[in-house]
Amino acid sequence: MTERILEHPVLGSLEAGKTVTFTFNGLEYEGREGEPIAAALLAAGVRTLRHHEESGKPRGIYCNIGHCFECRVEVDGIQGVRACLTPVRDGMAVRESGVLPSPVRDWRKNNA
Amino acid sequence: MTDRDMIVCRCEEVTYGELTDTAEKFGCTSRELKLRTRAGMGYCGGRTCRSLVDAIALAATERDVTQITLKYQPPVRPVHFGDLGVITND
Amino acid sequence: MRDLIIIGSGPAGLTAAITAAEHGLDVLVLDEYHKPGGRLLGQLYEEPGGTWWNGIEESRKLAERAGVLGLDIRLGKSVHNIEQVNSSWLVHADCETFEAKSLLLATGAAEAPVAIPGWTLPGVMSVGAAQVMTNVHRVKPGKRGVIIGVNVLSSAIAMELKIADIEVAAIALPKTNQVNGSASNPTEVMNALLHVSHMAPSLFVKMGSKLMKNDFMKKMGITFYPKNGVRMWDIPVMLRKAVIRIEGTDQVEGVTLATVTADGKVIPGTEEVIGCDFVCIAGGLYPLAELAALTGCPFYHINELGGFVPLHSQDMRTPLDGLYVAGNITGIEGAKVAMSQGKTAALSIAKDLGQDIADTSLSEAVRQISSTRTDAHIQFHPEVDAGRRKLQEYWDLHDAEKRKVMV
Repeated sequence: MTERILEHPVLGSLEAGKTVTFTFNGLEYEGREGEPIAAALLAAGVRTLRHHEESGKPRGIYCNIGHCFECRVEVDGIQGVRACLTPVRDGMAVRESGVLPSPVRDWRKNNA
Repeated sequence: MTDRDMIVCRCEEVTYGELTDTAEKFGCTSRELKLRTRAGMGYCGGRTCRSLVDAIALAATERDVTQITLKYQPPVRPVHFGDLGVITND
Repeated sequence: MRDLIIIGSGPAGLTAAITAAEHGLDVLVLDEYHKPGGRLLGQLYEEPGGTWWNGIEESRKLAERAGVLGLDIRLGKSVHNIEQVNSSWLVHADCETFEAKSLLLATGAAEAPVAIPGWTLPGVMSVGAAQVMTNVHRVKPGKRGVIIGVNVLSSAIAMELKIADIEVAAIALPKTNQVNGSASNPTEVMNALLHVSHMAPSLFVKMGSKLMKNDFMKKMGITFYPKNGVRMWDIPVMLRKAVIRIEGTDQVEGVTLATVTADGKVIPGTEEVIGCDFVCIAGGLYPLAELAALTGCPFYHINELGGFVPLHSQDMRTPLDGLYVAGNITGIEGAKVAMSQGKTAALSIAKDLGQDIADTSLSEAVRQISSTRTDAHIQFHPEVDAGRRKLQEYWDLHDAEKRKVMV
């Protein structure tokens, strides 16, 4: 479980902020208004944001600034949204898109 | 997990073994390595693994300092089809 | 039509926007992040005088000045294509297209990785990711971390994690393979570190850096480098141990380290596992120049600048009409250099658009880029000056060719 840095020797105290409630894969979480989805989930101890579309292996944030797309999730029905740079909003429904079928690869295993 | 099974391209899950075998077999450039293995052709457009793919290819080929090794093509970020071709008069 | 679109609201982009607005230009700034500041946001280090360079505070100052000038800054906008049509620039961002007479690319840098078996596990992140989580979002990346890759950036961020009370169990090398290159070679890493020895005097006093002037002594230094590392800010910096594997089933549980020879070969039987819940990958930075590459602008690979950079002049012009660059897209350097490049770019743009900019103020701005570079506390590459000279030679060649064609 990770935690928030409430006091910082150089940056000072974390400003009081509004709490928002959102869901990830159907479970309810709280976040600070304005922070990215990935930060809110990490603060709640959630590291796995998706499973690879083909292999199903777990993935979490990697670059955290929008370059790598490893944190892509589905937000209110829109796929491919980067959790690292999308601020959480009250009532937001976040879920992972899940593993996709790979018929060509599966066919090749036995035929190619 | 061995080195051979290590993933180099995170998007397309192309392994170190696949890349080094391909580079050795064909003595190929980064571009050919990409086309043969799909490394760098996934969601991030190769932003994460391009330096690694380059390093494998450069073991067999010389670097041309005037040519970007893995070409960039638009769109450089994934775009929803619905968002393409929309003209707004801003 | 707008005078100028700036892509990137980091130190270069914001400084350029402010300067351009001060000279009466109509400017639009686009950035895909939800806060202005770019990579500047995460930065936090103590300067030689004992004052802190606080990136959040610096970003806030720039954004505040931009606000006073009424600048149009649109955040959360990802640019996916740019094109020059007739004599204007079209910028395609998500579902919108913007048009301007000139375009400044200030897209900064991206992180290059080193690859280690297990590096796709949740809990493994780039070192910059841990920095942003800690300093910007104020969420700990984990309780105890290991940083893979010993360089200027990773050392600076290790210290930032430490300040935020996050334990860094070790900074170690990546294991040697075809993709990790010199980052996995203890001797080469030590040579690179000697250039920044002023950052951590105690570390290098222990290593006897005064004795390291010749290659033989360097070799001795790395041969006798303590296996368990030398402590810097109480974090063990390991140059003779490499991470050979990241352990964990569903997320990071630890790393396996092994002792390596002076040229990075793993010594069998020396493996040990240490526990951690996050791992940072630190392979350095490279100029993020993908948008410039779409325009047909010539590029050159210059090691000292961090990779391929778009051809540009000292006053930040590219060979393409109306296209300018500033900041880390031109080569990896600190935020202060980026700011002075941003200012210079804005003056060149204003001049090219017919504003009354004295030649002396432009040359003064160019001079300031070099003096900022000389005064910089850290250099990402010790030979950055040589890199800049190489690029200038390419520019001069290009310029001479162009003149020939015109004659």
